[in-house]
Amino acid sequence: MIIQVFSAVWAIAMFSILTETPKKFLPYAAFSGGFAWWAYLVINNLTHSTLQAAFFSILAVAFLSHILARIMKAPVTVFLIAGILPSVPGAGIYRTVYYLIQGDQALSTHYLISTLHTAGAIALAIFITDSVVNLVHLYHEGSHARRN
Amino acid sequence: MNEKTLLEAVVLAGELMLVSGAEIYRVEDTMNHMLKRSEYEQTETIVYGTGIFVTLSDPNKEPLTRVKRVAARCTSINRICLVNDVSRHFCEGKITVEEALRQLQEIQSPKATQYDWLTQGLGYVGVSAFFAPMFGGSLGDFLAAAAVGVCLAVAAWIGKALKFNDFCFNAFGAFVLAFSAMTICHSYPGLNSDTIIVSAVMPLVPGVTFTTAIRDTLNGDYAAGSARILEAIVVGLAVAFGVGAGLLLARSMEGGLL
Repeated sequence: MIIQVFSAVWAIAMFSILTETPKKFLPYAAFSGGFAWWAYLVINNLTHSTLQAAFFSILAVAFLSHILARIMKAPVTVFLIAGILPSVPGAGIYRTVYYLIQGDQALSTHYLISTLHTAGAIALAIFITDSVVNLVHLYHEGSHARRN
Repeated sequence: MNEKTLLEAVVLAGELMLVSGAEIYRVEDTMNHMLKRSEYEQTETIVYGTGIFVTLSDPNKEPLTRVKRVAARCTSINRICLVNDVSRHFCEGKITVEEALRQLQEIQSPKATQYDWLTQGLGYVGVSAFFAPMFGGSLGDFLAAAAVGVCLAVAAWIGKALKFNDFCFNAFGAFVLAFSAMTICHSYPGLNSDTIIVSAVMPLVPGVTFTTAIRDTLNGDYAAGSARILEAIVVGLAVAFGVGAGLLLARSMEGGLL
């Protein structure tokens, strides 16, 4: 687990270079990615469900991103993209199309469904967090508040 | 305030955010905030995945409209942050509209990238190397993935230098990485070629685009959402096509040259 989280932190730090994350936010982005993968592994161990692991770990990391964005006065995206990178189904999309080209329909469909499940769980978790944060804005600061 | 300059600045801000991979609601939100400083009664913005429309209308004035086709696309969080800062300062009245437009044009210039080619290459190597342990790879897989990452970085430099379009860039990168991974696995048996290839394609595959597409759809931006899903599928197709070609070439060379 320590090795996994350690690699996640470094993988996301390197990925953040490719997504042109500002230098001053690099450590926080890496932390966000490492935290997300740690949460994913812990929840996966408890529930043995990758779907629940993706959903709840992104729920946690989305709230963390909103808090970090408040503190750093930066858009939420900076920390959110770093946070979802470890669990986002990039390999799934590749495998879906790869087996489609290879003519293996059963494997292709299997990976397509799991890709849709994971991406849907992640998107839903972010959507719920965004909606809750917007409601809090609405009640506390009036409707003029700027969405971060 | 010069409304035409404002319109120019607003469209440029929207375009910069859209090509940098920001969500549609964020693009529209930023543009609407900037348009609040206009003296026109009604302002309307529509942002699709591939274009921006802005109209200012008022019963007493000539209406102003701008349409902008947006083609190029890449993820640049730095640009999103910079545009966000400019729009924030402009909305707070700290800078004039001319100053805002000048700052946005500065962000648009390609000089604004903050990492040089060497650091970007290091990024490719690091991503493919460190994803290998996350997919359950051994120390050997980690080292092999790093070596494949070097090949991918070289392929990316070549692709950028030759100005490949998106599809060719991804397919070429995937081809190089699959071929080099198979070559390495052939020389050192015991390595898991599947793990190495999957970690090396991570910088290319559109996982974030796919997730952003579903988020856009959930937010009610159906046109942008479906456009982004198609974009993700096309990128995935390019990557799978490149990997397939690389594997085919490596297999046909086995027993022969290799």
